[in-house]
Amino acid sequence: MTDTLRYYLTGLTTVLFAVDLIQSFFYLPEADRREEGEHMRHSTYFACLFAFFAAMLFALNARSLPMMWVAVELTTLFSAPLIAYHRTRGSVEAMWKYLLICSCGIGLALFGTMLFMHAQTTGNVAWYKAGFAFILAGYGTKTGLAPFHTWLPDAHSEAPAPVSALLSGTLLNCSFFAIARFRELMPDEASAFATHSMLALGIVSVLTAGVFMVRQTDFKRLLAYSSVEHMGLATILFALVAARIPSDEGECLCDGGILFIALLAHMTFHSATKTMLFLTAGNLLLAFKTRAIAAVQGLRETMPGHSMLWVFGILMICGMPPSAIFLSELALVASAPIWLSITVLALLFVVFAAMSRFALSMAMGTPTASRPEELPLRLVVMPTILCSAIAVIGAIACIATLFM
Amino acid sequence: MREFSEILLASFLLTDIILAGTGRLRQAIRLVALQGWAVGLLPLVMWNWTESGVPGISVFAVAAVNALIKGCALPWLLSYTVRKVDARPELEPLVGFRASRIVVFAFAVASFAAARPLGASAIPGAELAIPVALATMGTGLFLVCARRKAVTQVLGFIVFENGIAAFGSGIMMEIGIIVELGILLDVFVLVFLLGIAIFQISRTFSSLDTDQLSTLGDVHLMHIRKSGETGGRK
Repeated sequence: MTDTLRYYLTGLTTVLFAVDLIQSFFYLPEADRREEGEHMRHSTYFACLFAFFAAMLFALNARSLPMMWVAVELTTLFSAPLIAYHRTRGSVEAMWKYLLICSCGIGLALFGTMLFMHAQTTGNVAWYKAGFAFILAGYGTKTGLAPFHTWLPDAHSEAPAPVSALLSGTLLNCSFFAIARFRELMPDEASAFATHSMLALGIVSVLTAGVFMVRQTDFKRLLAYSSVEHMGLATILFALVAARIPSDEGECLCDGGILFIALLAHMTFHSATKTMLFLTAGNLLLAFKTRAIAAVQGLRETMPGHSMLWVFGILMICGMPPSAIFLSELALVASAPIWLSITVLALLFVVFAAMSRFALSMAMGTPTASRPEELPLRLVVMPTILCSAIAVIGAIACIATLFM
Repeated sequence: MREFSEILLASFLLTDIILAGTGRLRQAIRLVALQGWAVGLLPLVMWNWTESGVPGISVFAVAAVNALIKGCALPWLLSYTVRKVDARPELEPLVGFRASRIVVFAFAVASFAAARPLGASAIPGAELAIPVALATMGTGLFLVCARRKAVTQVLGFIVFENGIAAFGSGIMMEIGIIVELGILLDVFVLVFLLGIAIFQISRTFSSLDTDQLSTLGDVHLMHIRKSGETGGRK
């Protein structure tokens, strides 16, 4: 199971990296021209970007567990300088928090790995449980699961758009994969403990994301909290996949296999849609020079193309039907125990209300006094390609499910 | 060699408690260097010389690299940073020095209590290693949270990392040298990057108080909104 996940995520990471790389070529010169103040040299930027990509592939494909830890830590090291591309106060602060919080988190994961390996030699269940708890806290920090997510909104909002997209679309998946790998190695006696702790972290993540989204004023932070929400959902899905909890006595709408496909679909569509949204948000930031939702209003009149991309992307990420996220959330709700289904549905509703309210006010509201600057057409190429890919593949997936 | 290992492990606890009570950067860096040397020597001392004979070259190599990086390179890097950015000593930590000492002492007691159920199955000779490692990790994390200055936070992180390494030398012996070196490389590059980050903080904020690093965050945002300003910084 984790091997399928590994091949799948490797492919996904490669495709999205290509998209972000191309967008970097378009985005950076524009950003340099519009932002005053120092920025990193482009040679350093691209060197870090490629090293970051290599570290992510290493993390996904490392064979031994401690080697995987080394690789995940390397992803932190190479992505941290990218966050402070523009040397503003905010970005330096975000980089500092990212380095310190993620390194302490990843340190806990190393400790957990040691406990786990010792458990494998002795077969003691208590060591397995202790190890998994530390691993969940450690890699959970990197995955952005609440309450360890505090670095995530800062880093995602301060980084330049292609880096935010890469962090959200690919990096989170890598450390999620690490958790999945350890979960599969847990023995049956400790299985219930692992399932319950993963479910708890997942629910807390979706809840935290919902709470902070409702009163959000910054559109990049809004997207960052949406990542927290979706990693929480993916954790819940994986906990169900690994435990194969039936819904009621024998009557199980989805078995583990279908849930696993739902998990793959969820991760793919979250990564692709979030990449597209972050790239679009980067363009809005270039045009308006602010991340405040209140200042970016009436896109329908001033930037019709971007307003369509933005609203479409937000609807897709919230799980409107042409998106495969709809299918995966349906599978989750249909196969989870009833208390879990109701909780998840209620929280998803809060998230949907918050996101669509802000997205619609940005698209439809009355334009503010400050007019957006003209953007060159090449900045919209990659988001448009991603957007059409999501629409086409999502529609095919939905129609195929109807006939299944 | 049992006495030696116990002396070394006791030195971990001792440095933890002194570190918690000092704000002077030079002294703190020297204490962390001392702990780094202890981490380096630990795999040699924990080795069962009478039964297993002379350890292989990889054990010596790991010990040497550990001691060089944690005992020499990292402290040098930090004192270079302190000199360059003219860092001030930690005078008003979030948790006072006396309280910090008590907290670290409590950590030590708690980790001895917590390690009792786990300790029985551990490697012989490692009875003391697990509680000491736990206490050192706890101290490190506590220092990261309870200090204001960027440099002292990095010191706390290194102490945390030392705790993990002390735990590892009891358990990770058989995993192999490549992994050990990979972990060390990561820690080294990380502290290097943190050093660069300190330079950038001192340049953009003209101070090393991490209190000033609080413009981001949503709780803060709500506070701004209450006081009548509109959101959306930048």
